[in-house]
Amino acid sequence: MREWKSIGVAVFVTMLAIGGAQAADETYPDWSGTWRGRPPNKWDPSKPPGLGQQAPLTPEYQAVLQASLADQAVGGTGSDPYSSCLPNAMPRMMTAIFSFEFVILPNITYILFESSMPRRVHTDGRDWPKEIEPAFNGNSIGKWIDTDGDGRFDLLEIETRGFKGPRVYDPSGIPLHRDNQSIIKERIALDKSDANVMRNEITTVDNALTRPWTVTKTYRRQRNHVMSTNDCNEHNQHITIGKEIYMLSADGLLMPQKKDQRPPDLRYYSRAQR
Amino acid sequence: MRAAVLNLFGVSALAAALCLTSAGAFAFDDALYPDLSGQWRRISPPGQPAFDPAKPRGWGQEVPLTDEYKRVFEENLRDLRAGGEGRWPGYRCRPPGMPALMTAYEPMEVIVLPHTTYIRIDHIHETARRIYTDGRDWPKDIAPAWAGYSIGKWVDEDTDGRYDALEVETRHIKGRRAFDATGLPMHDDSRTVVKERIFLDAADRNVLRNEITVIDSALTRPWSVVKTYSRSPERYAIWREYLCAEENNHVAIGKESYFLSAEGLLMPSKKGQAPPDLRHFQQ
Repeated sequence: MREWKSIGVAVFVTMLAIGGAQAADETYPDWSGTWRGRPPNKWDPSKPPGLGQQAPLTPEYQAVLQASLADQAVGGTGSDPYSSCLPNAMPRMMTAIFSFEFVILPNITYILFESSMPRRVHTDGRDWPKEIEPAFNGNSIGKWIDTDGDGRFDLLEIETRGFKGPRVYDPSGIPLHRDNQSIIKERIALDKSDANVMRNEITTVDNALTRPWTVTKTYRRQRNHVMSTNDCNEHNQHITIGKEIYMLSADGLLMPQKKDQRPPDLRYYSRAQR
Repeated sequence: MRAAVLNLFGVSALAAALCLTSAGAFAFDDALYPDLSGQWRRISPPGQPAFDPAKPRGWGQEVPLTDEYKRVFEENLRDLRAGGEGRWPGYRCRPPGMPALMTAYEPMEVIVLPHTTYIRIDHIHETARRIYTDGRDWPKDIAPAWAGYSIGKWVDEDTDGRYDALEVETRHIKGRRAFDATGLPMHDDSRTVVKERIFLDAADRNVLRNEITVIDSALTRPWSVVKTYSRSPERYAIWREYLCAEENNHVAIGKESYFLSAEGLLMPSKKGQAPPDLRHFQQ
């Protein structure tokens, strides 16, 4: 009797689970595998880098970008915080120069990266909390949409708020406003004609901009990629001391990253040691 | 007995079916698996956590180190007393790696899918441990990683038709690692094998246990500890980003490590430490 009861429970659980899995699989799009953006590493892939991006910046933030580019022209890192291993953050992380993957559950979609902290996109219908813990990746609320009415979701709309900084769009240092009040809206879907291509239409609303800035990112599916971890701290050749950034030479010594850069202040060492 | 076998057969068949139907990033019904959702925090005495939470830090851990690695640990402690970093990679914003990461220096999340269980801890770069439960064997070529490469197996121990423990084996862990911030060493050959048994406490489903056994060439015998985590009661738990690079006041230049003062100036981390060699600057 106990045997039949056990078998019955197993079959029942099996039916429930498989039924659930099938129903769920038919509900969400197939975004399996890993995904990766296409080089080069710039924010709007359809335009040249730097000033060629034609970012609709306010005059104040246009000057910030020009200062960054001027510093990079003489060998500096400009205002790119990644040189200090600060995260790429939103929205820059969605350029995805390293691979990422989706883990889709009914209440949440995780976006897991090789080179960044994860994104949690809450799809459980929650509202924005009164107080948001600021984060480089922000806080994301999403909504699945069935655009063609075939009974299966095909579009994930995401809104992300609650940031901390500093953040830039790409390595040239195109800045987001230091007030961190950005609102980023995304529309992620597979390409209609190629299921191995994904598009992400990203619109950034930010006080450093004169109008919302929309770009479309394209990712290609990788079927057999093994996700690894790209640890900036492990390979970083930049040394940040206070507000200055230096380089590490091949022999492990501190060296300037640009012409005439002064060495670090050694006032905490005795004169005999210097 | 026969029921147990049949039941296990049913579970296995179901798991296979789920693997087939849910390969990739699909949602699924998790009725077969224990509810490991939510935010988990380590249960351990206050202060810097030791690898074995049941014992005092340092020598008090009673790690079965070989004589060679007892000397390595003693040298490490001397360096720490002098203001150095010892063997703990965290001072340089490097991840603790396996098995130290399972101390859960930041809150932990367990995401169970039929083919993979993800363990997520937002600490430095311990962002996604992947435990493959799809029946794969060890690949021939694996790039060593701080978190290693993990293969797991769900077990239905009480034969109730639902899994209740995840058995995991982890290999191919990279780097010079320590068990905890005191610098308790693992062998430099990086041939550590870590076995885990992760399960909910039978009496309290908001308590998660992890029985960890470490096999390492620096040990005279396998070393087992039990780590315990409690589930946050908050409906919407906050996942704070912990970014070592944002707060780190250690500066590593070559093999030396220095401190950054509050005003951002370089200062020695130990008595008599020479300043960095500035021969590449025009002075």
